[in-house]
Amino acid sequence: MKHMLLIGILVAISTISIHTGLDSIGLLPPQASAQAIAIDELFEWHVWMISFLFSLIVVTLVYSLIAFRRRRGETGDGAHIEGHAGLEVLWTMAPLFVVVYLAFIGAQSLGETRRVDPSALEVDVIAGQWFWRFEYPGQGVVSTELVLPVDRQVYLRMESLDVIHSFWVPEFRVKQDIVPGQVTELRITPIMTGSYKVLCAELCGTSHAYMEAVVIVLDESDFADWLAGQSASVEDDPVARGRRLSEQNGCLACHSVDGSQKVGPTWTGLFGSQVRLADDSVALADENFIISSILDPDMQVVEGYTAGVMPSNYRDLFEESQLDDIVAYIISLGK
Amino acid sequence: MKANKTNNPLRLGLWVFLLLALLTAVEFAFALWFGSWLLLLLAALAKAGLVLVYYMHIAKLFKVDESIDRESYGYKLATNRLGLWLFMVSDSFIFGGLMLSRLNLMGLTRPELDQALGLGVTSLLLVSSFFMNRAETSLAGGDRRAFLASAFITILLGIGFIIGVLGVEWQLAPFGPGDGPQGTVFYSMTGFHAFHVFTGIVFLVIIFRNGLRGRYSVEKHWAVEACAVYWHFVDVVWIFFYPALYLIGTVVP
Amino acid sequence: MKEFFSLGLVRGLVYQFFGALAGIGIISGIRALMGLETAGSFGFSEPAWVFGALLGAITFLFGSGVLDDWLKWAAGEETADHHDGSHLGWRRYFGPSLDHKVIGIQYLVTALFVMAVGGSLALVFRTELAASGLQFLTTTFQVFQQNGMQLYNTLMSLHGMLMIVSILLGIAALMNYAVPLLIGARDMAFPRLNAFSFWIAVPAAIILLSSLFLGGFDTGWTGYPPLSARAPLGMQMFFLGVSLAGFSSILGGLNILATVIRLRVPGMAPFRMPIFVWASVATSIISLTATQLIGLSFQMVMLQRLFGLGFFDPAKGGNPVLFQHLFWFYSHPAVYVFVLPGLGIISELLPVFVRKPLFGYRWVAMSSLGIALVGFLVWGHHMFTSGMAEYLRVPFMYSTLLVAVPTGVKFFSWVGTVWRGKISFPTPMLYVLAGIIVFLMGGLTGPPNATVATDLHLHDTYYIVGHFHDTMFGGYIFPFFAAIYFWFPKVTGRRMNETLGKIQFWLLTPSFLALTFSMMQVGLLGMRRRVADYDPALGFDLSHLVMTISGFLVAASALLFIINLIHSARKGEPAPGNIWDSRSPEWQVASPMPVENYEIPFEVVGEPYDYGMPGSKFVEFKRGRHESK
Repeated sequence: MKHMLLIGILVAISTISIHTGLDSIGLLPPQASAQAIAIDELFEWHVWMISFLFSLIVVTLVYSLIAFRRRRGETGDGAHIEGHAGLEVLWTMAPLFVVVYLAFIGAQSLGETRRVDPSALEVDVIAGQWFWRFEYPGQGVVSTELVLPVDRQVYLRMESLDVIHSFWVPEFRVKQDIVPGQVTELRITPIMTGSYKVLCAELCGTSHAYMEAVVIVLDESDFADWLAGQSASVEDDPVARGRRLSEQNGCLACHSVDGSQKVGPTWTGLFGSQVRLADDSVALADENFIISSILDPDMQVVEGYTAGVMPSNYRDLFEESQLDDIVAYIISLGK
Repeated sequence: MKANKTNNPLRLGLWVFLLLALLTAVEFAFALWFGSWLLLLLAALAKAGLVLVYYMHIAKLFKVDESIDRESYGYKLATNRLGLWLFMVSDSFIFGGLMLSRLNLMGLTRPELDQALGLGVTSLLLVSSFFMNRAETSLAGGDRRAFLASAFITILLGIGFIIGVLGVEWQLAPFGPGDGPQGTVFYSMTGFHAFHVFTGIVFLVIIFRNGLRGRYSVEKHWAVEACAVYWHFVDVVWIFFYPALYLIGTVVP
Repeated sequence: MKEFFSLGLVRGLVYQFFGALAGIGIISGIRALMGLETAGSFGFSEPAWVFGALLGAITFLFGSGVLDDWLKWAAGEETADHHDGSHLGWRRYFGPSLDHKVIGIQYLVTALFVMAVGGSLALVFRTELAASGLQFLTTTFQVFQQNGMQLYNTLMSLHGMLMIVSILLGIAALMNYAVPLLIGARDMAFPRLNAFSFWIAVPAAIILLSSLFLGGFDTGWTGYPPLSARAPLGMQMFFLGVSLAGFSSILGGLNILATVIRLRVPGMAPFRMPIFVWASVATSIISLTATQLIGLSFQMVMLQRLFGLGFFDPAKGGNPVLFQHLFWFYSHPAVYVFVLPGLGIISELLPVFVRKPLFGYRWVAMSSLGIALVGFLVWGHHMFTSGMAEYLRVPFMYSTLLVAVPTGVKFFSWVGTVWRGKISFPTPMLYVLAGIIVFLMGGLTGPPNATVATDLHLHDTYYIVGHFHDTMFGGYIFPFFAAIYFWFPKVTGRRMNETLGKIQFWLLTPSFLALTFSMMQVGLLGMRRRVADYDPALGFDLSHLVMTISGFLVAASALLFIINLIHSARKGEPAPGNIWDSRSPEWQVASPMPVENYEIPFEVVGEPYDYGMPGSKFVEFKRGRHESK
């Protein structure tokens, strides 16, 4: 049938056009992990399938709409075709085989992303509202940036302090939720040096949009240098200790140290100031005020801010001496 | 003649009850001496099957009626019956969800509960099912007196069950609602179930009152049938919940 | 004034208000007696608000009058079988009616209202998202005890759930109106239950909306704990509102099933039912059963908040992932509830406009059941990254991809139906065709989510948002508009304006395509979903601007639709007969549809879709037949 031939040609042209078009847009971020390679290959399969199936249905449909449209003045009905058992079987079985095959290569692809390298570098990831902390147990290093060596698998063990978060670097592709009460795992092999961002990919409250951290992939030697440079010793200076605690426990995700506006009040010039509270009373921002604000954030909400935003589990996270260090740091930021 | 019409179904009701009681005892023995969840499941399925077939008359649902008069009482009765069963299918999903949650949270461990109390409230419910069946059967056979008496006893037993669970068990349990998975599982399962028993009692009070005023006849007593079938459904839920809470696996340390 | 307060809706609302106050008072009183704190974030404690809202919903039902007949039965009184409210005129739409056609309209109007509210919320946050950086939903912006970013989360979450509720109401409108007509029934099997199913949705929607004013909530429509366990009071209103709305869906499904099984005209064998009835059956099987699980999962979080039960609290031996299993066990089949009726509309309307039988009718009928069945087995694909048991991921991938098979049958059947037809393009047909193409896009963008490895990249991105907007619009919105344009004359006796309809269509379709294409594009490149702000360095600003503008154009087309609807109801061109020349029974009687539907029952004398076979009929009205009684 000449209809079929024409449709066949149009479908082929459409498939290739759509595929080329989609490819040229640059659908995916750069491939920066070994896992991304396997995943992107699978994506390529999908793009072909989408291009073909879309073309098959839409071209045939639109062709029919044009070829069999009712012309002006035409009466009467269409052809009385009730169905065709053979076609039904064909278009049930063929898709069945295709999806089973697709699932099969999907499973293979998944297996690729889950390859275990026994010599992987272990990094523990702590996620909490709304910050990240990375601990290198083998090296005794704690950092607010995830620094990784290129071409070596990193084995992430991830825990949450409060609600469900999710670890995702788009360039690495793979993603894993971080669930309180469990340890979840993710393995990534970066293959491209550079700077990326890890984004929290599970809605976790007010500042979910800003819950990100820097990821840096370095050459092996640069990475070794970085590790060595991270001091694991406890510092003598309470202000320095306090600053590190504030960085590593998410305080600075919401409180600025340069006077700028963030989710919570700025710490610049906080200590010793008169603070107007939401209930119109005024409080002196002394040590007690600061410490009670950390332990019971909703008891004294500052005017212009809302209750229920600052996490209230810090009393479980900090010891008294650590609270004093944080106060020392705040004091150092000016009166 | 009237006595004959009700005799056999009444006797059947009694035999079913005795079988149910026996199976409950067997369950208890299974738990005590074998600790096999599979055996407990089989016993529960057997009990549920008995109730579904003989108390809930599930066969009536599949009776093909040939009447085509959509407005006739008989046609509407069959439609009502279908509606009730669809409702119970839907409600089962809640209890199914609770059961799966229980298995997810506690696996093959179970809360620490008083076995005597458990057997006690289970017996109350089982006996109430016997009387509920007796009530429905009596009315279907024309014996209004027996219907009223049995319905009244069912109400009392139902209230007894609620008192037993909410009034006694909940107060005496060695753990509270917030005490770990035990509390979560026990209070939620017994709570949802008790709520359904409560609604069943309300239904019973309504049909008892209407029955007193002579609103039901042998030919037309759908409300009574519906109440009975619903009551037995709530019993079937307990048939599964009881072993899941009291008999399965090992006690949480 | 007296007339105003005699309306069921008004009385219901008044009762709801006082019932809520009473509930708050009762709990506060009990708490005071027990020495517990009675004050809370909005004046009263959370338990007081929750109980108040619940009691308010119950008193609403009493006040509306929808329970009256049942209360009479409980008291041992008889009631009339059919209450003919046609003498009430427009008033009967504002109170409980037992007529499925009135209830269908009530559902429709409520659906459109909820859709307008939900859509407006989206316009607010889409305006914020048009450029990177926070424009007005900033941390210093405060309203309803939420700062700008918290408000964003609330608006975004409510948008999702309000649209879902509007879809449930909209499909209820279609199924309630059409199913009895298509099977030759006088009404649904349980008319009072039908009325109840509608009326409970009203207080449910009010409670849902109240969440905005009671502190909002920040979890998205999915309400995952532990976040939802610690969210503000608005979270409880959300949970309660959805649970109550769920009853509407459950009982509606029950009614459809009983009606189709019991009230078809004699002679209408299952494979002679109009295809939309099959679609409604498949939909109702799901809504009857699976809906209980979203209710259960939400109620579990409510109980966790109110009584400290530890379902999902790891500190109490709970499991956050358990929530997701329970929740998605409903919420995946739910999406088939949303689209199966619309796909049924497409199958129902195509033959009329191509004048050809529905290709492979039996296969199409079975495909709806197939989708419903397989749809129960795929929920884990929402949880590939959740930390659930590893061995579950591959099986769920297989089952998810399997749904493509019955869905494919539909698409191929539609092409087969159009092939060698004699095709015309009035507005309903335009919507049907766009529905096919848009749903195709939605369906084809599914497999990358189904294969686990690619989903690891796509999960929780705008790609997903684009995918489900395509499926929802293609499977519901477009067919929904088609259905209304199609059946409007049957309901009102007038046509909707064709010119306005075509303008509306051409405004909607390209805008919508631009919207979802942009969504998927940025999602693939790294745009997460549910974020109030995004990094300008990502280069997504232009795409977001396109999305915002498209969103406003979509809203404009919806507004045009409502204008067309209202204007045509009053001044539309009269259309008293079978203007589409449809074989379907409802078009063989006068428009508007008579109140008793078919005064003379019809007989099925042929196949439903034998267009193109001269002289054939689907149904016949045997006039003058006497029934010997």
